[in-house]
Amino acid sequence: MAAQGTRRAYQEELEKLEVRALEGLDLVVEAIERASEAVQHSDVELAELVIASDDVIDGRYLEVHQSILTLLATQAPVASDLRLISALLHVMKCLERMGDQCVNIAKMIPIAGHEPPADERMLTDIVTMTGAVRDLVRQAKKAFESRDVGLARDLVRQDDIVDNLNRECFRRAIQIGDSEDRREWAMTMMLIARAIERIGDNAVDVGEQVAFLVTGLFREFEDASHPGEDLASQSG
Amino acid sequence: MSESVTREDERTSDPVRETGASHPSVAIETRHTGLPARSDENVFELKDLSVHYGDNPAVKNISMDIYHKNITALIGPSGCGKSTLIRCLNRMNDLIPTARVDGELLYHGEDLYGPNVDPVQVRKMIGMVFQKPNPFPKSIYDNIAFGPRILGMKGDMDEIVERALRRGAIWDEVKDRLDDNAFGMSGGQQQRLCIARCIAVEPDVILMDEPCSALDPISTGKIEDLMMELKENYSIVIVTHNMQQAARVSDMTAFLIVELTADERNRWGEIVEYDDTEKIFTNPADSRTEDYVTGKVG
Repeated sequence: MAAQGTRRAYQEELEKLEVRALEGLDLVVEAIERASEAVQHSDVELAELVIASDDVIDGRYLEVHQSILTLLATQAPVASDLRLISALLHVMKCLERMGDQCVNIAKMIPIAGHEPPADERMLTDIVTMTGAVRDLVRQAKKAFESRDVGLARDLVRQDDIVDNLNRECFRRAIQIGDSEDRREWAMTMMLIARAIERIGDNAVDVGEQVAFLVTGLFREFEDASHPGEDLASQSG
Repeated sequence: MSESVTREDERTSDPVRETGASHPSVAIETRHTGLPARSDENVFELKDLSVHYGDNPAVKNISMDIYHKNITALIGPSGCGKSTLIRCLNRMNDLIPTARVDGELLYHGEDLYGPNVDPVQVRKMIGMVFQKPNPFPKSIYDNIAFGPRILGMKGDMDEIVERALRRGAIWDEVKDRLDDNAFGMSGGQQQRLCIARCIAVEPDVILMDEPCSALDPISTGKIEDLMMELKENYSIVIVTHNMQQAARVSDMTAFLIVELTADERNRWGEIVEYDDTEKIFTNPADSRTEDYVTGKVG
């Protein structure tokens, strides 16, 4: 909301804070793309760059966190301002975790080795998953910026694609064969798939914060403890 | 805009609250994190209450219930009629010759402005503490004993004074100098003395019109602590310009705004929103409340 009337400096500070926080999601997108490429080409140097770049994401987390503490202490935000700050705290935690998952992916690449993939289809699925979660993160950012609850809820549908691919990877890993090398490769790929799947979940969590920000209600879009309940389509 | 904001107690009918305990991740509504702020019993019922000074309206069409043993905060910009409204609650506006009160104001179900109601008795039951501490130019003891003596209250006066000073959270600071002049006390002490003086006549309601605006943060904190203790026994209505104070101490908050005629010659206050304080300060229903509490408009 454009600053007007009183407390102009505070409102501008709040707007700047949101921009800095959501730019952190761009850093995550960059990390996902690099991690994906590193997996695809077994590129250990690029993987090291992903690990090193996580410091930038962590730095952004600390910077925004400190700014939030300062705003809480000095401006006592309430109502939608308070909800925005609460939502940004959650978003920052999510993006910091997504950065860590990219590091987890990157750490697996030297272990997977330089040999051709034991299962080409499994690798293709993993690359498809990274593309999907990258799009999820972009969509989560767009939903937050535009306060679009519908777009936020749509993240669940997209995340289901990632979840299905993760299950498919698991199925293929079980059937990979008796060779120890092939099993080790498949295990490594499963850990990568799991990390990607978690990034998708974190993107959905960002979407839930959009709904909280707009409506004042916190509802999980999907509830792991009550599977099958279509919470995303519920009003509120 | 001025429709009644009185609402039914939602405790038993809210499915979110009912399912929240067993499925906390399913739906957590921010306003339902604790017990409901309001009590079941009304101390005041305001129905289309309006106040005019001569021909000029001061507040219009106020409808709200004020709950027993709650702290109710009235907030809003200068000139919105907060003080006028709170002064209606113990008929202080009677002292202004041009003031006229229309509509209905029930106190425990009885018409506060009924023909047989004694305003002096009203002010005993519904005491008031003002912005600036106003002790009498007398000793600390006599400040407290004044009201009970006038009213001919029975009992040991020393006990009455001590009980009032204890409830006013100031006994320990003054017990050894009860004969000293009250003017020698600090501002914060004087304000707590005034609260103790109000309590001494055993009221039912305490009205506070910006009671901390002349006090430093430490004295303010003491008054706020005192309010939290007093609400165990009394209903409190407070007018405050301090948004954070309203958020800290009150159970219910009413937000009033200034309305203007097209030619801007006349201005009066109207109620915009009245709800649980937690709701007002986390997710207000009206955008005007939102803009005011977040400071987007002054």
